[in-house]
Formats: sequence, C-alpha cells, structure tokens
Amino acid sequence: MSKKNQTNIPFIYTSILYIAGLLLFLEWLYPVDEVTDTVFLGIFVIYTIFCFFISILQVKWWLSLLLKGFGVFFILNGVYSDHSFWSKHWFTELFADFGFNIQALFARQWFDLSNMFRTLLFLIIIWLMSYLIYYWFVQIKRVMIFSVLTFVYITLLDTFTVYNADWPIIRTFVIAFLALGIANVLKEIQSESLQSYRLSARPLWILPLVAIVLFSSVVGYAAPKLDPQWPDPVPFLENAVNGDGIGVGGVIQKVGYGENDSTLGGSFVQDYTPVFKAFMQEENYFRVESKDYYTGKGWVNSDEGDYVEQVDWDITFETFSSTVESNPSELVLTFDERANIPKLIYPYGARHVVAQSEDVALLLNEETGEIRTEVDDDAVNLRGYSIKYNSPSYPIDLMRNSGAPEDEELVRKNTRLPNNLPDRVGELAKEITANHESQYDKVRAIERYFSGNGFVYQIEDVPVPTEEQDYVDQFLFDTKAGYCDNFSTSMVVMLRSLDIPARWVKGFTSGEKIEEDVNELGDDVYEVTNANAHSWVEVYFEGVGWVPFEPTQGFDAPNNYAVDTSTEDDLLEAPEAPEMPEQDLEKPEQDVQDAFNPSTGENDSKFEITKTHGIILAVIFLVLIGVVVWKRHQLRIYFLERKMQKRKDAAAYQDAYHYVLRLLRHKGFQKDPDQTLREYAMRVDNFYSTDEMGRLTTRYERLIYQNGSPNIVDDELSNLWKNLIKKILG
Amino acid sequence: MQETMVYNEKISKVIDNVNKVMIGKEDVAILSLVALLAEGHVLLEDVPGVGKTMLVRTLAKSLDCDFKRIQFTPDLLPSDVTGISIYNPKEMEFVFRGGPIFGNVVLADEINRTSPKTQSALLEGMEEKSVTVDGETIPLQKPFFVMATQNPIEYEGTYPLPEAQLDRFILKLTMGYPSLEDELEMLERTSKEHPIESLSPVMSKEELVIIQKEVRNVYIEKNVQQYIINLVRETRNHESIFLGVSPRGSIALMKAAKAYAFIKGRDFVLPDDVKYLAPFVLTHRIILTAEAKYDGKSARQIVEQVVKQTFVPIRKEF
Repeated sequence: MSKKNQTNIPFIYTSILYIAGLLLFLEWLYPVDEVTDTVFLGIFVIYTIFCFFISILQVKWWLSLLLKGFGVFFILNGVYSDHSFWSKHWFTELFADFGFNIQALFARQWFDLSNMFRTLLFLIIIWLMSYLIYYWFVQIKRVMIFSVLTFVYITLLDTFTVYNADWPIIRTFVIAFLALGIANVLKEIQSESLQSYRLSARPLWILPLVAIVLFSSVVGYAAPKLDPQWPDPVPFLENAVNGDGIGVGGVIQKVGYGENDSTLGGSFVQDYTPVFKAFMQEENYFRVESKDYYTGKGWVNSDEGDYVEQVDWDITFETFSSTVESNPSELVLTFDERANIPKLIYPYGARHVVAQSEDVALLLNEETGEIRTEVDDDAVNLRGYSIKYNSPSYPIDLMRNSGAPEDEELVRKNTRLPNNLPDRVGELAKEITANHESQYDKVRAIERYFSGNGFVYQIEDVPVPTEEQDYVDQFLFDTKAGYCDNFSTSMVVMLRSLDIPARWVKGFTSGEKIEEDVNELGDDVYEVTNANAHSWVEVYFEGVGWVPFEPTQGFDAPNNYAVDTSTEDDLLEAPEAPEMPEQDLEKPEQDVQDAFNPSTGENDSKFEITKTHGIILAVIFLVLIGVVVWKRHQLRIYFLERKMQKRKDAAAYQDAYHYVLRLLRHKGFQKDPDQTLREYAMRVDNFYSTDEMGRLTTRYERLIYQNGSPNIVDDELSNLWKNLIKKILG
Repeated sequence: MQETMVYNEKISKVIDNVNKVMIGKEDVAILSLVALLAEGHVLLEDVPGVGKTMLVRTLAKSLDCDFKRIQFTPDLLPSDVTGISIYNPKEMEFVFRGGPIFGNVVLADEINRTSPKTQSALLEGMEEKSVTVDGETIPLQKPFFVMATQNPIEYEGTYPLPEAQLDRFILKLTMGYPSLEDELEMLERTSKEHPIESLSPVMSKEELVIIQKEVRNVYIEKNVQQYIINLVRETRNHESIFLGVSPRGSIALMKAAKAYAFIKGRDFVLPDDVKYLAPFVLTHRIILTAEAKYDGKSARQIVEQVVKQTFVPIRKEF
C-alpha cells in the first residue's frame, strides 16, 4: 500500500498496533507446546519477536531478508547440530538433510520429514506471518479478520484438545479490542473527513480505550455465567458421525458402550439402538473389561497390559477360583449391524467361544479382561458367536470368612486412590462399615448405602465435576444424583479407602426379554441396547476371586451373582430399596424419567428423538432466519419483481416503487413529507449520478396522477427498477 | 394529443416573445400565461419601472389581441372604465361607446390609486365578464384578461383593494429587480430600438379561446385535489392566519394548476404544479393576525410554511 497513507500517523501508533499483532500471533504459538510434541517453543517465540522487530523497523527489504534468513539457520544450527555455525560439516549436514527431505516431499512421504526440516518450515511460516501481520495491522489496518481467526483457533483448541484457553481467551479479548479500537481511530483519521486532523504524538487518548477494554474484560470475567447450554461438541459430533454410542464422558452424551472413561459425569440421553440379542436360559451381566486407576475425574488403566492370544478360542481369563461352584451353560449372541464393539462380550465364567469365521483371533488383556476380536491384526466386529461358560454361585460363607489377600501387587493395584481425594470420602466409608467385621459385610454395607440415604438415579442434570472437584466426592456429598458410573465408581473408591481391593467393570446388563422358550434348549431371547451399557463393581475375596457387586439404584444383579440360597439372612439383612419387578429392572432409567415427566411417560424414545431433533430443528430454523434477514432485500426484490411481471398492474408497480423509497430511506435519503416525488428523484439522481430515479418517478407519476391506470409495467420498467436497486444497494 | 402539441408550441413562442423583451422574467411570463389560460386575472405588485407595463404589452402584442390601458387616477370615474352612452343628434338616440374594459387584454395601471367606486366597476367586469351601463348588461370580449398593477410603497392618496376584491385575481405576482447580468443585457438590447417594436403576434384570439377550453380538460386526480384541499384547510387552521383561503381560492388553485400543467405539456396535474403555484395563488387570499404582522411575518412566509406542513400525496388507491 502507499506510504502516504501513513504519513500523518506517528510511528508510535503503528508500533502499538503491530505489537498487538505480535501478541495475538503469540497466542497462536503457545498452544503448540501442549497439543504437539514440540520441545523448543521458546525458540520459536524468540524468533517471532525477532522477525516482528525487524519488520517494524522497516529496514530495506534485502537487509530484512538477510537478517531473518540468518536467524532461521542460526536456530537450526543451534538446535540440531553439534558443529559450529560456520563449519563445513554443518553445511554438508544441512544439504544432506535438505536433499533427503525434498525427495520425501516429492514422494509425499510427509511422515518421513526430519525434525530439522519441519522446524525450518515452521520458522518460515513465522517469517511470512510477520509480513502478513504487518500488512494487515499497519498498512491496511484491518484487525478484525485476524482477531476473529485467533478467537476461533483458541476456542477450537480448547474444545478439541487438552489446551485450556481460560486465560488466553481473556488475553486475546483485551489485545484484540485494543487493536480494533486503535485501528479504527487511525482509519477514521486517514479517511478524507479528518485529513486535516493532526494526531498527537503522545498516545494519551488511548488511555480511555484501555480503561474501557479492561473494565469490560473484568466485568465479563466476574459476571455470572450460565453452564454450557450445548452438548460438548466432541462426543456430540462423534455421535453424529458414528451413529453409535461412545464414551461416557463429557456433558451430554448418548448412552452406550465407550472406550474413554477418563472424564465421567454429565447428563446423557437414552439410546435404544440394539447392540445384540442374547439367547440364554438365565440372566447374565455381560462383562467387557475393567479399569483399575481412578483419577479423580474418571477411570483409566494404569498400564496397557499384554495381549495374549486365546488358543483354540479357549478363554484363559478367570475372575473366580475353582472353589466356586458353577453350572456349565451356554449362550449365543447375535449382533446388530450397527454395533461397533470389536471386543468379546462375555458372561462371568466364560470358557470357550465358537464363532463363525475361523480367521478370528481372540486377544486377551490379562489385566482388564478385555478380549479383542481381530482378523489379521485388524479389529473386527463379530456378527455372532456362542459362548460356553460356567455360571458361578458365589459362596457367601467363604467370602465372609475370607482373610486378607496375599497377592500384594494385586492389593496395591486395586486400592490405589488419587492423593487429592477428599478425606471425607474415606471417613464416610468408615462410618458406613463401622459395625461390620468381615470384608464381605463391609462390602455389602457400602453397596446397600446407595439404595437409600437420599441417592437418586437420574440421567439428566448430572453435573460434570469442576476442576477442583472430585467426581466421587461431588456425587456422595453434593449431588447424590447420578447413574451407574456415579454409583459404581463411588463404591469402588470407598472400598479402596478401606483397603479392600476393588475394581470398576464395564459391560452390559442382560437387557429386556423379548421372547421366551425359542428353541429346544429353552433359551429366552434378550435384546440388549445401548441403553443397557452399564458399569458395576468387582471386589476381590481371597480364595474366591473377583465377585461382582451392584451398587446402582434400581439395578439388581442377575440370579447367579452373590446370592446363595443357604444364607437367607443375608437377603433379609439387606435394607435395599424394595425389590423391583422384572420390567423395572430392565429399564430403571424409564422410571426416573417418569418421575420427572409424569405426563410423558409412555414413550421414551420418542421423547429423545424430539429433543435431539428439536435442537437440530432449532438450529436449522435459526440459520434460516439468519439467511432470510441477510438476504431480505434480495428476497423482497425477487417477490416484488415477480409480482410486477405477473400482474403488470399499477398496484404492483406502486409497491415496487415504494420499496425503492424505503431502500433509499435506509440509505439516508429521507423524503420530506412536503417534498414531491420529482424533487426527491432529482436529489437521488444527483447523488447516484444517474437519471434512473427520475425516469422511474416519471412513470410512477403518470400512474398515480394521470387519468386511468393502464397496465404500464413492461420489461424496460422492471429493468430500470432492478438497476436502480442494484445501485442503491451498492 | 397532437393538438396539444401544436398549442404547446404556440405557448412556447409566446414565452419566447416575452423573453425577447423582458430579460430574465420567464417565470413571470409563464405565470401570467397561467392566469390567462385559466381565464383569470393577475395582480402585479411592484415598484414602478421594473417592467410591469412592458410585460403586459408584450403579452398583448404576441397574442394578436386588442390591448387597452387604463391609468387609474383618483379622479377616474366608473364610466371612464366601462364606457358611456352618448346622445347622437343625427340618429336622435343614445349610442353606447365602450370604455377601455372592452379590450381583450386590459392593463389596469396603479389600480389602488382610484376610488373604490371606480375599482369596483373594473372588478365587476372581471368577475361577471360583463358590465352594466344605464341598466343594460353588455358582455365583454372573449378572451378577457386583466393585469392590474399596484405600487406597494405609496400609501398617501391610495385606496387599498379590499380583501374580497383581491380574491378576484387568480394570481398575485411580483416582478422584482433584474439581476446584474440581465440589466446589462437589457441596456444592450434597448440601446438602439426597443425590441417590442419588432414583435409580431404568434397566437390568434381564437386559438387562445380554444386553448382555454383545452386547459379545462386537463385531468386532475383525486389525490391531487385532496392535496389542494389540505393546503387550503391548513391556511384556515394556521395560528398566524386570521382569515384563511376561501373555497374560491381552492378552485383558483386547481384552475391555475391545470393551466400550468398544460403549459408544461402535460394533460394531468402533478402535486409539483400545485406546490409551485400555491404561494402565488394563496398569498393575497389570507389575512394575517395582528401578532403575526407585529412579528414581521409576511403572508408569503406563512404560505410557504403551510406548504411545508402539508404532505404531498405519493400513493393512489387502486
């Protein structure tokens, strides 16, 4: 751009603008450290400042090129080479590296590029940005685009990566608005109206601007804010793309089996998409995997574990010891096409799997019990298989009398808790179990604790713990409302606080019985949907093994779990919530929803469809409104023109002509009431250097002041009309 | 339409003639024509020597009409205007000899200098298009067009026209002094021979009567009539106006607007015509309140204010 534009603006203002640009650009650099494996962020920052410094000095282009280029190679040398900058070796090294990388570039082997080359490219980008921002901020003084881009960039990173943009967004706000304010004033001064205005060399007038921006930032920061009104976009989008239920994390999700449990909490909507059908004689909980490390927010695995191939599809994973009585049984699972869980879903006591395809390899993770299904090292979803299993009946006497576990590693691993777990969790666990001696009774006491004491099962309005909050602590003491993850995690954590080894298990409940007695074995058919994804607790008893427990309100473990007919008193002792009838057991969520929506209890899935679809419809509606508002002139013009051409009558032309008057009024050409159309048209024509308004007006005058109203609209007139509107709308 | 075109050409020739004699006074010429075509009369109010008489003479000469001039003096008698019956001894009877009012274009110079009795003789003729002499009603010639002049400066020995009689003039015009360039040009042109001597008539009496008939046929839309009514009613409600414009004023405004539209080559009236003519038609038809006069407001200012307050119609109900 021309230099004369800047002549009357002191250097200090352009420098302030440019520094604002630099600060905004640095906001782009800071997250690089966190979201990539870049190590030398400081060097990039220094190089950025260096480039910006040289740009603002406005030295000759060749000097600037030389200095910035020198900077690039100096950095490359310092970071990647042991040789001195001027040594021959360094240059040979450099050339060899470039040669290799350029070949890789041409071969499109992006991942083969060396770190040095990538650094070079990144430095060049910084170099270019220093020019670009100089152009945007100092020369054309258009700050808006880059500011908006910066906001978008930071918010996207905040949403989709680990980068926490709480402070950066405030910094960006302050810098961007200061820059916008200054740039606007400078632009005004440069415009013709203020050409004679001489800007003071002392930037005192910026102070009020700074004060206003800071004040609004502080107010904005301190003002109370609503909780997020929209679902976390990541799971939301993934849901939209995959169509399957995914991780139990985030704010509102669709329920279903997911991988990522590192952030628990938040509401979800039920999803009754079928996952599989189970043909079995008795109800079973289907186990998929367990997790052993509680972070304070959710569950992860402390180590990846090794995967062992299951020879001949014989399952070597055992949760209970051979002393436990078990009945051999068999069940068949057939999966829905939409199901996407490339893992074996198995009942307790699974021994052997029979699948249709013989290529399938079963890989067991011995730590978690996860069994991957793979074909040629690729994860596959099996369409169906049958599993032979020994349905266990856990001996309560043995459990009650079991001693301390001997395997120290097992105990260590399964009693770990985060350091910042609030003490009151452990205190509560002690309080609940104070009157119980045996481990079994303690476990049962904690399990029972959740069936009363103010806890409710609900899937809506379940909060996500804040940064300072512990997931379990929040549930136990603050909210007392949640779903299976809240109950099971809390139980595990409380048990662990008592040094009882326990782990968190994920899988599915047995779903809903849809058919009875379908074959000669007397199998019933159960349909398991995403809504049946579940989590529960396993507790280790020495000599018995891992025994499942069910703390979640409204759920009841299947018959084969922990119920021994020999111990009637055990059942009597349990002051649990009244036994729920079969149906409620399958769909406890529905009960809760009914309680909240007494009027709409009949069809849950419909309710959810309207809700999600409602959001989509609302968005579409808003977008439509936006488009209509944005394109209102075009729409109006289109309809008026059509009306004119179709009816060719005076009334249509009157409307069209008055629309022109309205447009002109919006453009600041207010027609005075005492002004005649002719006088007004002359004024408009003078401004637009045209005679079109005059011609239109002459036609219109004949229409409204002359005798009769002939059909006067012809193509010439409508073209004239359209041309004028184009001129007015610019 | 073809005929209108022809007449329009004639009208512009008349205006050209006036332009030859009167420099920079085209608007006054057009307004005089408006009055002529609307079958009305003009009151020219201005100081002496700005060309009032010259304008009338030029018009009369261009129109091939019978031009008469009456110089009003305090001792002028009504019979000096209307004419008198004289005894013809030869024929042994009274013979009526018409006065100057029996012309086509009559210049009534300094009308406010004569007695009301004589003034009313002229004004009766203007209104009735006939005069009564010795109990006998004699129709005036057609076309009949009076241009009266009055001097606003002198009050001594003058008889200002009563409001009721001012109403008879469709327009009241002022000439004003010429601009510097126009006055120079005027000296240049009149230095040898006065241009009026070389004028020749461009429109016959008969043609003028036909045009007057055509003007009556010019169309005026309801909304423009409404505009006229609104203007007039506004004068009746205005706080600075003691007496507003009479319905005769509305009619005058409409007639003038039609004539003006015709001169401009249109067969329909625009609000622009009405708006332009309103000050000339309405100013001499209102009486200001004492307060307004005391505040130094002129009737012209008030009428302009009224025009500014009145909405121009820009829609038609279909």
